[in-house]
Amino acid sequence: MDGSLPDPDGMTAETAAGGLVARDVGMVYRRGREVTEALTGCSLEVPRGSWASLIGPSGCGKSTLLRIFADLVHPTSGRATLHGTTPADARANRVFALVSQQSTMLPWRRILENVELGLQVARVSPRERRRTAEEMIELVGLKGFERAYPAELSGGMRQRAAIARALTLRPRFLLMDEPFGALDEITREKLNFELLRILQETGATLLLVTHSISEAIILSDEVAVMSARPGRITKRVPIGFGRDRDRSLRDDPRFAAYEAELRHALHG
Amino acid sequence: MIQPLPRLPSAVPGVLGAVLPPVLLIAGLVALWSAGAAQGWIPSFILPAPGLVAAQFTGNSEVLLRHAGATTLEALSGFAIGNIVAVAMAMLLSSVTVLREALYPYALVSRAIPIVVFTPLVVVMLGRGLPPIIAIVSFSVYFPTFLNMMRGLASPSDDHLELMHSLHASRWQRLCMVEFPAAMPYLFAALKVSASSAFIAALVTEWIGANTGLGYLVVVSGQYFQLPQLWAAIFTSAGLTLSLLGLVHLAEHLLHRYTAAAPDL
Repeated sequence: MDGSLPDPDGMTAETAAGGLVARDVGMVYRRGREVTEALTGCSLEVPRGSWASLIGPSGCGKSTLLRIFADLVHPTSGRATLHGTTPADARANRVFALVSQQSTMLPWRRILENVELGLQVARVSPRERRRTAEEMIELVGLKGFERAYPAELSGGMRQRAAIARALTLRPRFLLMDEPFGALDEITREKLNFELLRILQETGATLLLVTHSISEAIILSDEVAVMSARPGRITKRVPIGFGRDRDRSLRDDPRFAAYEAELRHALHG
Repeated sequence: MIQPLPRLPSAVPGVLGAVLPPVLLIAGLVALWSAGAAQGWIPSFILPAPGLVAAQFTGNSEVLLRHAGATTLEALSGFAIGNIVAVAMAMLLSSVTVLREALYPYALVSRAIPIVVFTPLVVVMLGRGLPPIIAIVSFSVYFPTFLNMMRGLASPSDDHLELMHSLHASRWQRLCMVEFPAAMPYLFAALKVSASSAFIAALVTEWIGANTGLGYLVVVSGQYFQLPQLWAAIFTSAGLTLSLLGLVHLAEHLLHRYTAAAPDL
């Protein structure tokens, strides 16, 4: 036996153990004779309901690894699964939602209509999608801005709307690629804790790509540190804060210890 | 003592400020034209007195209306047909890669061909009257709209396309929800150009292929030295073109959430 145990949900041990699993993922870009190895031997497990971050220097391939899970690029070797299914199947079943650095609001749609987009694509009835969108807009604290156009909102508010849009399909996985990267420090930290609250309410599994060490600590059960050229995971740091996290997290002495540990891992 | 300069945006505030200066300019020009005609500065066989031209619109309105009606019918039919086919073709070609790669280079080159020179050939093929003129107008309207729609449909950012991909949107949903709305500014930029080119094509084609319409009236009036009628036909043509352009601007304004970023051609 390979040690697999029956799972209450009837899933195999592999899928139950890892909501998000990457096994030996490699990514090679070829342009003419030029060969760039973007990722090599990347293995990662993010158990269902847990939160993981990828941090690393620019160009280390952390976004590429996330984009493999989002079915935007295909790995040259190895495989990535979400609940045991391929990224393509996961996308077809809409089990994940993607949030990127740009809020990608459609400028001609009001905020409510933008938040409804995913439900509209999934052919949910207009009434049902209005109700869900309003609920999510309230969850991210944008109530009162439903009829505004994206250009009328600040960057932070647009990013809240993007999170609301991601949540409307009740995804089991949130794939976030530097979602707060374009925001100022104050807005960013505010949204970190807002997202923390939302994650605790929804129970989604999170994979976050960030270049902020503190953001990674606040929002993770495990932080994977990556090195550049070729991108690989060099260290995995468990963050033992459990759930029920709040703003007092930053005053915890362990926070500074994690910060130091990750900084050393990053700068070698 | 130095007088303070009037504020730059407008000497007269409000709507009046926007309307008054051009109206005064026109009134001034007409007055100058009247005086010029009365004093005999301008030979009346080139530019008859404004009163004579104005009399055409009252005394000769039946003739003007009949010809204006024909030209309007041709221009509007061609405008509608050319633009609708252009939008449909652009949507088809942007969706079907094989078609796009095969046809797009020819579409780019064909823009350089002056469509109006085909009029005699089209008249031979379709006979005189409405069909050849509507065909020529449609073609002259078609290319700017088609090419602009191709650019517009390709204009959405990678971020927006990736978003739709991650939402598992179908090709058709991507077209309707992202690409077509994103193409609206490009469409309206083309419509503004084609509003005037529709009338130009109709008028020029009438010179060759018709015995009705304002283009025909201009030629005939010139040949028979009926200058007041010629000038009345010119003013009517300009008025009709401006009216269609005005309608396009109105539609653009009503759809401003889609057309806000409209570039001007």
